Amino acid sequence: MTHTLTIASRELRSLFVSPVAYVVLTLWSVIAGTFFLASLIGFQERLIQLQQYQMLQQIELMNLNDELIEPFIGSMWVILLFLLPAVTMGLVSSEKANGTDELLLTSPISIWDIVLGKFLAGAGFVTVMTLIVSFFPAILFVYGEPEVGKTLSGLACLLLVSVTYVAVGVFASSVTRSQLIAFVLTLVLLVMLGMMLPFIVDITMAGSGLGRDSAIAEAVRWMSTGSHVDRMLQGLVDTADLAYFAISSAAFLLLSKTVIESTRWR
Amino acid sequence: MSDESIQREPGGKPAIAVEGLAKRYGDFEAVRGLDFEVSAGEVVGFLGPNGAGKTTTMRMLTGFIPATDGEARIAGHDIFAEATEARRAVGYLPEAPPLYPEMTPASYVDFVARLKDVARSERKTAVERALTRCGLLSVRHREIRQLSKGFRQRIGLAQAIVHEPKVLVLDEPTVGLDPIQIREIRALIADLAATGGQTVLLSTHILAEVEAICQRVILINRGRKVLDRPIAELTSDGTSIEEVFTRVMTRDETSLGSEAGESR
Repeated sequence: MTHTLTIASRELRSLFVSPVAYVVLTLWSVIAGTFFLASLIGFQERLIQLQQYQMLQQIELMNLNDELIEPFIGSMWVILLFLLPAVTMGLVSSEKANGTDELLLTSPISIWDIVLGKFLAGAGFVTVMTLIVSFFPAILFVYGEPEVGKTLSGLACLLLVSVTYVAVGVFASSVTRSQLIAFVLTLVLLVMLGMMLPFIVDITMAGSGLGRDSAIAEAVRWMSTGSHVDRMLQGLVDTADLAYFAISSAAFLLLSKTVIESTRWR
Repeated sequence: MSDESIQREPGGKPAIAVEGLAKRYGDFEAVRGLDFEVSAGEVVGFLGPNGAGKTTTMRMLTGFIPATDGEARIAGHDIFAEATEARRAVGYLPEAPPLYPEMTPASYVDFVARLKDVARSERKTAVERALTRCGLLSVRHREIRQLSKGFRQRIGLAQAIVHEPKVLVLDEPTVGLDPIQIREIRALIADLAATGGQTVLLSTHILAEVEAICQRVILINRGRKVLDRPIAELTSDGTSIEEVFTRVMTRDETSLGSEAGESR
């Protein structure tokens, strides 16, 4: 455990002095700001429109959570798919490129210390990313009255998704010594997991005659993050969805450990 | 030096004991059935041409790669069965010092001390001592990436000694350094063995280096041991160490050649 924390804190410090962290955090903040502003303007325009047409009933129904915060966090999740690989690409691969894997693997520590240390460091980084995002809904609390629970569950959802994706990144980073390959592999995995799986399942299942509702189709759809995220963003915190995040993180971390162990035997 | 650092193996057990150690990569036998022992406090030169299996052997001893066959003990600990204890007893400087360029020598050596289980209460002193011994005090807060190759090699050495291991495994510690740096590193290694009682196994191509700091030499060729003698014995009849090695190597290559010829 101490070794895990030792590795995590070293990694986190190195992450925050790396240029890639600054680029990612800057882009992330700018994009978050832009999206938030756009959502805000959209919200206002709709409100004005409804007022012009005197559609009081619809105005009653409009609320900051469903029409501003939820879509905002939803779009940040999509941006995450493309930015996160840059954060995680070097987690393990740079150790191999630096030759520091020789230090880690000859130290009296376990491979789990390495894998979990890297995972924790990545989790720390995405926590900062989530905090940046949470700044914007926080502004709304000054001027309006969004629901606290719904807002928090949306942000918690973003954090959970990010942490799960960090596990994917750790895995992709442990299969190669090249940061570029790790980046591309993470991107492909995240886009598959995050967006593509349901479409692929619909297309292949329709063609294979198994039908879209077969057990396999359901299983693959379950593997996709999309549906779990949607539910949580709406404020529905379900243990089944939480289990999804826990199981996928654990699975990718186990894979990473296996990969690091097996490369040693070559 | 504190007393505990001069601990030798009780009962005269060898600090390094290697038996039938072998490593195969597919069809290629990098190391084939290596046997040798190094007693506590001894400084042994591990010699051989490029590709002889020096690095592979050292990587197996330090636990970086598993052996295909054979056994090895570091300070009495089996490198497979008691891997953690064996690793704690060894300080390792790989061919390329394993450095994080964005760290400072001080924070890096502290990180390694944590990895190697140096007790929290002793960590600060241990780091300080390692930095001092390796002459790194003046650059301790500079970024490693800005430092010269000589300094990087010393940082590599500092991380190898920070936990006061019983055994030091140094893979070509002076490669790529200028003559003055080479002399400094050699003096440091000799000093470690003399004052710290540490056992040193170091690989090198430089024969003069072996003569300067080692008591014994193990020469390997194509993964096998071809010579294992004290330096004093080798040069007692006035022949230079260079001549001895050339002779042994030529004899070995010829015998390997004739073996290959017979089998054809």
